Amino acid sequence: MDAFLLSQYVLSGLVIGVIYSLMALGITFIYSIMKMINWGMGEFYMIGSYVQYALIVSVFGPRRWYLALPLAMGAVFLLGLVVQRFLLRPMFVGGIERRDEYATIITIALMVFFRNLAIVLGGPNQYAPPDYARPMTLVTLPISGNRVVALAGTLVLLALFCLVIKKTWVGRALRGAAQNRVGIQTAGIDVLRLDMLAFGVGVALAAAAGALLAPDFLVYPENGAISTFKGFEIIVIGGLGSVLGSVVGGVLLGVIEALGSVFLSAAYKDLYGFLLLIALLVFRPTGLFGERERSV
Amino acid sequence: MIGRVRTALLAALLVIGLTAPALAQKPVKIGVLTPLSPPGDAAAGQFIVRGAKMGAEDVNARGGVLAGRKIELVIEDDAGTPEKGAAGFRKLASQDQAVAVVGQFHSSVMTAVQALAEQFKVPVFSTQASARQITERHLNYTFRTHVIDPDRCQMWTRWIKERGFKRAALITENTDYGVGLVDETKKAFASILPGAELRTIIFDRAVVDLTPQLLEIKNWKPDVLLNGGIGTPMYLIIKQAYDVGLHPVVPMLISYDAPTRPEYWKTLGEKGTWASFIVYYHPTMKLTARGEAFRKKYMAEFKEDPIYGALNAYAQVVLMADTLNAAKSDNSDELVKALLANKFEGWNGTISFSRGEGPYWQQWTPPMLVTQYTRPEMSFGDAKIVYPPDLKTGDWMAAPKR
Repeated sequence: MDAFLLSQYVLSGLVIGVIYSLMALGITFIYSIMKMINWGMGEFYMIGSYVQYALIVSVFGPRRWYLALPLAMGAVFLLGLVVQRFLLRPMFVGGIERRDEYATIITIALMVFFRNLAIVLGGPNQYAPPDYARPMTLVTLPISGNRVVALAGTLVLLALFCLVIKKTWVGRALRGAAQNRVGIQTAGIDVLRLDMLAFGVGVALAAAAGALLAPDFLVYPENGAISTFKGFEIIVIGGLGSVLGSVVGGVLLGVIEALGSVFLSAAYKDLYGFLLLIALLVFRPTGLFGERERSV
Repeated sequence: MIGRVRTALLAALLVIGLTAPALAQKPVKIGVLTPLSPPGDAAAGQFIVRGAKMGAEDVNARGGVLAGRKIELVIEDDAGTPEKGAAGFRKLASQDQAVAVVGQFHSSVMTAVQALAEQFKVPVFSTQASARQITERHLNYTFRTHVIDPDRCQMWTRWIKERGFKRAALITENTDYGVGLVDETKKAFASILPGAELRTIIFDRAVVDLTPQLLEIKNWKPDVLLNGGIGTPMYLIIKQAYDVGLHPVVPMLISYDAPTRPEYWKTLGEKGTWASFIVYYHPTMKLTARGEAFRKKYMAEFKEDPIYGALNAYAQVVLMADTLNAAKSDNSDELVKALLANKFEGWNGTISFSRGEGPYWQQWTPPMLVTQYTRPEMSFGDAKIVYPPDLKTGDWMAAPKR
């Protein structure tokens, strides 16, 4: 195995890992604020890919795909607001006490509902929007132009996300809610409204991943399943609630899967990530960047 | 007292008189168990349902079966998974009392439901499931009117030999079909192409990023790439092989007839050009009177040429109607006897079932051809048959260098 080939495999894993981290960031962000796992995250990814496809095919055309991306994210953001307001908010009693099983049941039901709705509306077949860019070479790796666009899009969105969280008033409020839901209310912040915003942003990030990867990984009712699966793996590896953990976990998972599938066997690609996850849980149960929960 | 008895008797006779014709006209149910949602190849299932419905319509328009009983189809989705297939088959056999089940597409599902077919004594037909073991198990209620993988792999090995290729890579999924393709291709290479090199990669069917595997294949520098994906994975292989510069520089042969479907070009665009693929039907083929009538009706209804899955499902439903009439009964044992004793008009020839050796047990095989798309958006009717030599209508062409 020469260094050139090894660099190709590592780069390929790195690219896909960064893109998967967008999904993981959405999951971990919702968890940080609302303290709930959204099991239907993959379906918001799927809806994002369908909206992107529909907008490109019927409104913007193949050359202006980039106009469709914010609209796809916006549409899923609004859907997230509605879902949170009417289906998830009832799990909170007085903004603090929450019924975890309620969120689990609702999000699993949403997963089944959205998947079947996609089959009813779009049929069970796969669709593919036209390519965002021609195939190119990234350092040593011959790669789909779509994948490079998705990588760049992911990096921009990650930077924007960090900027908003670190520098804005809303970001400070969100960080406060992540640290202490009771404390933030004493500062006069409506934590339930903040939940709605967090849920909308989280699912919009999943939609962005779906829209960016649509030309490469296709658009079909179950296309979100694999990225949700990866997203959950990444947040456990990186540490639940950590933005940096989502990115580093994503890259690690991508590279390990790429190398394992080439040097060991492609048939067990998912196993390699799980082995990493088990090893981390044994030696560092909070994940790479997770913090032990503090109780008062 | 006598008056009351007489009234009761008259009432009973009236009830019997009114319900008897209805009982005699009770429809005969045929199950269609096929993939209609992911992760199964749902597009294939839709074409199979189309064909089966047209078969039932034809039979009913001719007066039905068993002296006037109508055929009623009960359609179930197996989603390409053995557990959903088994649940669907149980429902069809026990709740719906289907006399036979057609439409099986995925080998893994067929393998799971054929054990239930024995248990419930309901004949099950493989419409497009091709794994060797399906008929090699020599089960009484399993029938197939589709190709088997040893024949498919021998055929593509002979094609590779004819083209003069010495290094072939096979990438396929971890299903009964995919694993079977690897085993059968290794055997075929050993017997037909000794000395040629074969590299096989089996990937998880759920995986969507195949870039590392395709890079590995590209690095190995094969003369030909065999695409053993079914449904979405088949498309992912083509798209991603194109992106890493493997396809169409290295010729690709797709293991089944998915490129004949209208969705092929919509999904792949120009990346679908230069692919070669195995088919079992071509619009230029001469069909039986029954097959020709179906083709005309299908084209009038759907404004496109029929797909093989629709033809085969149609033929299976009509074949079951012929079997019911030949057996003069809907009893399962009588149906199996009639299936083995009679010859039936299929879509391109006479179908008969015998209990042969190995996988040739209750098996009827349609023709197999290699065709190729040489320009974007090419219609299937325009695609030339490039193999076998006695049926070819054009020469295979290598893609120009990019």
